[in-house]
Amino acid sequence: MDPQLTEVSQLFERFKAACVREDVDTGSNLLSKLKVMLTGFRSLPPLFEDTPNAIHELTLARDIYEHAVLLSVKIGDQDAFERDFFQLKPYYTDASGRLPPSSQEYMILGLNLLRLLVQNRIAEFHTELELLSPTALENPCIKHAVELEQSFMEGAYNRVLSAKQTVPYKTYDYFMDLLAKTVRDEIAGCSEKAYDYLSISDARQTLLFSSDDELLQYINEEHPEWEIKNGVVIFQKAKESAPCKEIPSLQLINQTLSYARELERIV
Amino acid sequence: MAATMVSSAGALLAMLNETHPQLKQHALYNLNKFVDQFWPEISTSVPLIESLYEDEEFDQHQRQLAALVVSKVFCYLGDLNDSLSYALGADSLFDVSEDSDYVHTLLAKAIDEYASLKSKAIESNAEEANVDPRLEAIVERMLDKCIMDGKYQQAMGIAIECRRLDKLEEAITRSDNIHGTLSYCINVSHAFVNRREYRREVLRLLVNVYQKLPSPDYLSICQCLMFLDEPEGVASILEKLLRSGNKDDALLAFQIAFDLVENEHQAFLLNVRDRLSVPKSQSSESVQPKPSDPEPTQNENSTASEDVPMTEGSSVSTATVQETDPNEAIYAERLTKIRGILSGETSIQLTLQFLYSHNKSDLLILKTIKQSVEMRNSVCHSATIYANAIMHAGTTVDTFLRENLDWLSRATNWAKFSATAGLGVIHRGHLQQGRSLMRPYLPQGGSGGGGSPYSEGGALYALGLIHANHGEGIKQFLRDSLRSTNVEVIQHGACLGLGLAALGTADEDIYDDIKSALYTDSAVAGEAAGISMGLLMVGTASEKASEMLTYAHETQHEKIIRGLALGIALTVYGREEEADTLIEQMTRDQDPILRYGGMYALALAYRGTANNKAIRQLLHFAVSDVSDDVRRTAVLALGFVLYSEPEQTPRIVSLLSESYNPHVRYGAALAVGISCAGTGLSEAISLLEPLTSDVVDFVRQGALIAMAMVMVQMNEASDSRVGTFRRQLEKIILDKHEDTMSKMGAILASGILDAGGRNVTIRLLSKTKHDKVTAVVGLAVFSQFWYWYPLIYFISLSFSPTAFIGLNYDLKVPKFEFISNAKPSLFEYPKPTTVPTTTSAVKLPTAVLSTSAKAKARAKKEAEQKANAEKAAAAAESSSAAANTGKDKSSNEKDGDSMQVDSQPEKKAEPEPSFEILTNPARVVPAQEKFIKFMEDSRYAPVKLAPSGFVLLRDLQPTEPEVLSLTDALSSTVSPAGGSAAGQQGSASAMAVDEEPQPPQPFEYTS
Repeated sequence: MDPQLTEVSQLFERFKAACVREDVDTGSNLLSKLKVMLTGFRSLPPLFEDTPNAIHELTLARDIYEHAVLLSVKIGDQDAFERDFFQLKPYYTDASGRLPPSSQEYMILGLNLLRLLVQNRIAEFHTELELLSPTALENPCIKHAVELEQSFMEGAYNRVLSAKQTVPYKTYDYFMDLLAKTVRDEIAGCSEKAYDYLSISDARQTLLFSSDDELLQYINEEHPEWEIKNGVVIFQKAKESAPCKEIPSLQLINQTLSYARELERIV
Repeated sequence: MAATMVSSAGALLAMLNETHPQLKQHALYNLNKFVDQFWPEISTSVPLIESLYEDEEFDQHQRQLAALVVSKVFCYLGDLNDSLSYALGADSLFDVSEDSDYVHTLLAKAIDEYASLKSKAIESNAEEANVDPRLEAIVERMLDKCIMDGKYQQAMGIAIECRRLDKLEEAITRSDNIHGTLSYCINVSHAFVNRREYRREVLRLLVNVYQKLPSPDYLSICQCLMFLDEPEGVASILEKLLRSGNKDDALLAFQIAFDLVENEHQAFLLNVRDRLSVPKSQSSESVQPKPSDPEPTQNENSTASEDVPMTEGSSVSTATVQETDPNEAIYAERLTKIRGILSGETSIQLTLQFLYSHNKSDLLILKTIKQSVEMRNSVCHSATIYANAIMHAGTTVDTFLRENLDWLSRATNWAKFSATAGLGVIHRGHLQQGRSLMRPYLPQGGSGGGGSPYSEGGALYALGLIHANHGEGIKQFLRDSLRSTNVEVIQHGACLGLGLAALGTADEDIYDDIKSALYTDSAVAGEAAGISMGLLMVGTASEKASEMLTYAHETQHEKIIRGLALGIALTVYGREEEADTLIEQMTRDQDPILRYGGMYALALAYRGTANNKAIRQLLHFAVSDVSDDVRRTAVLALGFVLYSEPEQTPRIVSLLSESYNPHVRYGAALAVGISCAGTGLSEAISLLEPLTSDVVDFVRQGALIAMAMVMVQMNEASDSRVGTFRRQLEKIILDKHEDTMSKMGAILASGILDAGGRNVTIRLLSKTKHDKVTAVVGLAVFSQFWYWYPLIYFISLSFSPTAFIGLNYDLKVPKFEFISNAKPSLFEYPKPTTVPTTTSAVKLPTAVLSTSAKAKARAKKEAEQKANAEKAAAAAESSSAAANTGKDKSSNEKDGDSMQVDSQPEKKAEPEPSFEILTNPARVVPAQEKFIKFMEDSRYAPVKLAPSGFVLLRDLQPTEPEVLSLTDALSSTVSPAGGSAAGQQGSASAMAVDEEPQPPQPFEYTS
């Protein structure tokens, strides 16, 4: 066997062990090393060269990236998740003809969908969805995400929050927590538009907080422009409506006139 | 297994965000590979890659790679400016030799950018533009690559565009075919270099390169030097060639001289001539070009003043043969020849002989016109006289006038003036006999009681036309006539004559004389004086222009203003940007006549440059000026600006030709006529055709004249519309109800169509693509005939004979044959019109041809030969073999053309041959030039492979006696003549013949 491949495999074993031990720092370091080593293989995307060990290398690389994705969830690093997921994706899409499907594929795809939902990137969410096969849509992981999105869009926020109980995998918890916050932000955005002011208790209820303190803290952190006065939250309505663009009428008139003049003059 | 392909660059883009630099590097490297495919995806991440490029800590190579990727993405996005600036950042990674769309696009962009920076810097006179050195490096890499790959033309083009003369020189010297590249470069510099100053620099460089070559191409060097106006250089080259012991070098020198003469740059040629050093033994007095005209009184001295130094020189040289060394003697002999050529005499004389001997004008056409024109309609009457003059321009055949003296005498006043001046056109170039021919009409010194002032003025004008651009000998006489009269008609004629004779010489004394005529403030004299001043100062851009402009503002006479306006325009001829201030001044003037002059100034300053700025300006005036005159002239001026690219004109003026304004339509017609003159361009004809049946009479006039200019020398075989046009002209002329204006146009058009005995065309560019000053000026003044009919004669200046004239070392015309590889019918003369009535006109076509029964006998013999030759051809012999037999047997032929005409009936019976043997000197129309081939086994070899014009021939069998042609044709000049003028003419031509040695009778050799 290729010595390089062996080395990668060994390193990967150590990385897995570190993951199991929840040793995040070692894990990250090892992962970084692994990624650099993977760049040396020419059979991997984007080159996809047909080397003798191609299948083995591809499978190994896919495993590594799958672990990387899970690790990023574990440490709650969304950027890292995005990076790793995108690097993993070609193994699912482009290499699918050559590799046996991975057991974790749908879980990770579902995670990604959740992430997009959390980050409120609905357009990308649907793009990803379109790329999936009908069978994949039947998968519980994917189905879960799709249902969440539907509730989210309908505004059935309580259904979103209650879905936390029905997660297919434990790894989903991280995103479900984040989702609650996304929901709250959404509500906050709506109330801002809908009301001039709300009483604190109403606001607490609307924003799904259990106590006034939590509400105050939230306002301080996320919406410092809101004002709290006499037990009432006043949303800043000062946002003046965007000035409608002025029509350059004079210029248009001049132009039209000059066209007319030129037309008359030409031949 | 099918190769797996990535479907997205997402993975790579994600990898860019990794912290480890090696991963980023890997990602960049792969992105660069896939950017052509995934640029839409990458474009969203451009800011990220940009930040990598700007990251100081990043490895230099990586930063360049990042820049390259960004540059490519920008290029695909169509943002070439950003793309270029990042490509510059990529530095060496930007590979100019890569064959991809990206590289091609960016290279083009880079070169454009560089060129525009460079030219901007030069235009603003900044010392050195702060051009990005990286940009410069890219361009240089590109240039080097082109040179390495052998794409020299490309390299030269870029170098010229970018003003990198150093690279241009490198490209030329390293090319495999230096002569080819050099001539290409000359063409390019004329066609594409817009700024005159820069073009001069390029040409100067070319001259330097030429001179470094082991075997310099003197022909081209001298052409460049002429453009640079450096007579010293030309003179020294000519002298070197003349002093060489080799006869071929002398031939080359003669050829150079002929080529220079073709460009009609009189002042320059005189300068060259005077700079040629004198043979050591020769006394200095003979070098002095003619102490002002020693023979004003006795006309029996047949050699005109022009010939004085020539004969003197030769006599001295023969005298010195005994005492000095032979080299000097040879040099002296050659010097006299080259002086003759440079002064234009030799070519004028040969042209005259050619036009005379080959004259094929159809007197029947004139006769028809004469009969159909109403007696009392003086416009058509004089139009007929104009048409006759143009038809016989330079042929010295005035049969029509002599036969119709009664009819002619109906011309009174100004018509008389033009009738007399018409003689000048007919005898154009008849330098020796010009004076004696015009004598009966000239003012008789002192007495003043002689003829009418109109014919006297006309005679002076005629003298100018005869001596146009070669007025050395006649200037003094014209000056005296101008000074000694105060009759404004005579002044008018004298001014025009002087202007023509002293064209472009910028002679201060003459200028003062004309100025005093101008300051008499007489409308008639002043107009001519204004034009004449312009003619005198053509292309000098002298400050005299402002003096003229001041006077134009002072005077009350519109005629004078118009004359001056044209005169001012003439002074800036060919000056391009230098003329801009003057043009600006004129075009902004209150007076429409001066604006009108401004249009001419634009036309002449930018003649033949197809300069976009000038075209834009003219089009602007054509649609926006309030005065019809200005609009008309603006459109007309387009013709002058575009004559170097005749294909463009019909397209540019096509809209204008449909204008509601008849003046604009008229201008459009003439613009096409001017720029497409003599080309027979199909688009031009299509554009003019509807205009010839316009509703407005003067538009029809313009269109008919323009059409004739375009179709000159074409026959029905090459374009069937020529026949249609001829019939249309006839119809208009015969139609009793046609408007006078269009009738006049039709008469003039018939004249132009058959100009110069059907042997001339209108040519504004010489064969070396230089502009012909006289021709352009002639047409410019001609287009003024709208206001003043006598100016129609100026069109004769633009006629150039379509002849191949081969000359031997003695500048005589030897027998020499060559092939025209095309059906003879394509280019033959139009058939003479048939006689409508049974009058005595039948003899007319033969009158100019061959003499009589002798010719008929010959014709019979030739018919046999023709049959033989055709049989030979049918026997599948090669064309040269066929030509051989043809040559052997026809070596006793006198005249190729008589053969052609005489054997016509036979041609009908047999299929037309695909080639034709022409005999020196032969008529070679412009369209025919590409079919001309020289025979390899001929006795003479041309010094320069030119299909027409004057060509020096190298004699490969110098020991055998030479057979000369042309001279015999002249011997038939002594035709029976009637009338006083005719008597003069006869004796004059007899004298001309006496100068030439009688040719040996060629018949005795073979038969």
